Amino acid sequence: MTRLFGLIISLIAASVLTTVPSAASSRLVADLSNKSIAITTGFHGTELLLFGAVDGRAGDDIIVIVTGPPTDIAQRRKDNRAGIWVNVETNIWKQAPSFYNILATRPLDKIASIEMRKQLGIGPAHLGLTMLPEGGTGPAIDGNRFIEALAGNMGSIHLWPAQTGTVSLAQDALFRATLDLPANIVTGDYNIRVLHFRDGMAISEDRTRLNIEKGGLTADIYNLAHDYSALYGIFAIAFAVAAGWLAAAAFRRN
Amino acid sequence: MYIYLPIAEISMHIGIIIGLGGGVGFLSGLFGVGGGFLMTPLLIFFGVPSPVAVATEANQIVASSVSGVLAHMRRGNVDFKMGTILLIGGVIGSSLGVWLFAFLRELGQIDLVIKLCYVVFLGIIGSLMLTESVRAILRTRRPGARRVKLHQHNWMHGLPFKMRFRRSKLYISALLPLAIGAFVGILSAIMGVGGGFIMVPAMIYLLGMPTSVVVGTSLFQIIFVTANVTFLQSVQTQTVDFMLAGLLLFGGVIGAQFGTRAGALLRGEQLRGLLAILVLLVCVKLGYDLAVRPDDLFSVELLK
Repeated sequence: MTRLFGLIISLIAASVLTTVPSAASSRLVADLSNKSIAITTGFHGTELLLFGAVDGRAGDDIIVIVTGPPTDIAQRRKDNRAGIWVNVETNIWKQAPSFYNILATRPLDKIASIEMRKQLGIGPAHLGLTMLPEGGTGPAIDGNRFIEALAGNMGSIHLWPAQTGTVSLAQDALFRATLDLPANIVTGDYNIRVLHFRDGMAISEDRTRLNIEKGGLTADIYNLAHDYSALYGIFAIAFAVAAGWLAAAAFRRN
Repeated sequence: MYIYLPIAEISMHIGIIIGLGGGVGFLSGLFGVGGGFLMTPLLIFFGVPSPVAVATEANQIVASSVSGVLAHMRRGNVDFKMGTILLIGGVIGSSLGVWLFAFLRELGQIDLVIKLCYVVFLGIIGSLMLTESVRAILRTRRPGARRVKLHQHNWMHGLPFKMRFRRSKLYISALLPLAIGAFVGILSAIMGVGGGFIMVPAMIYLLGMPTSVVVGTSLFQIIFVTANVTFLQSVQTQTVDFMLAGLLLFGGVIGAQFGTRAGALLRGEQLRGLLAILVLLVCVKLGYDLAVRPDDLFSVELLK
């Protein structure tokens, strides 16, 4: 049921978020400095270089959209009940991007009209996200009045940076941008969409992917906890008892 | 230096983790409380997801309690007989508590119940302990203070199944510690704490145990309760972060040793007064958060 629902959502998303027609397209090629990232013990966020070439003219613009793996997001609203502030409403955003960052050569409203951005699915409000009441059943809720709060909350935990990042375009041909990935980034496949704009119209597009997975000791501990959870629990207790005993023994000699 | 926590899935400064472990471990050794009522909110404050904070903190308390209990055992301050009966009650109570937890979650009000439990119980216990300890301190300062009776005799001493607890110098019904263990067990399952901050005053004021054996006996009991929580959480929710627990307990076991030593320098009523102030501070902070309009009425949680 959920899978079917997800399929419907992605079909709707695919039809709403029109890709740029290839007829008018110029050439655009983009690539990343690193296409796969391993989250190991020392991971504290990372930077990636996005670079590429475009067959451009003076006044052309580039917009880059980085989208993380889709995930359900619970959004809760507090209200005052009998003098205390409690969560009174919980709604679920279905398959919303776990990371969403836009980078551009100029402020977005200077590059394309709001209608154009809506049509191309640029910006949190234009993603066509679906909101359901808690439990995932019942009719969809009009999410328009909640999307700004969602973007605010996601921005404060660095997953949907509010600030549009910078893309630099040299000699109307070579572009580059630094992608900042925060320490709390979600693992999975990331889509990076690069759009070439001229006179307010998107004239070409390229996409590239990025994979983020746990690696090394981080992956080992995570896998042990999930695949052999009883053993993991016993090991955690044994370690704690041993550590406590060792500390007591060490302090006794002093 | 930052370290990425594999289960919490966040990056945290290693100094903050060890510092938290050490600070809470010190209080744990000093007062004989697990420190869960402090550590869980602190971990959440530093960005650890709340289920991971609750489960991991249980694992860490196993270590600091073992370290603390060994120090108390050397001084003969653990009543194993009393501890075992409290523990039996605790197992029964926490099973009931887990059931109650699931029931309240179905009603959709578990968060509110947890917070209200914290405010109510921390408030009641903190005020009672503070009043009593201030009175005791004033009494000892008064010249010619007379020696008070070990404990008052009342209806509780008429209950059946009487048992002799030699370490605690008590001859009381086994039903009393069993009931207290069960009650604390229920609360610890709902509030996600070891329950020492309720157990310690209950042992002193309800059972009439001498303060010297209360801390060690409470720690003895907490080891088993938190080990059980660690195992159940590992199996059911996979929210025990071994890396986080390891670093917390590194600071925690050392802190607990210093805490136990510092505790030996203070008088019982002074210790209880300090614990009361700490408990009341946490209570006021949690109550304040419930009563004051939050800056942002909305919050989000990524569901996996």
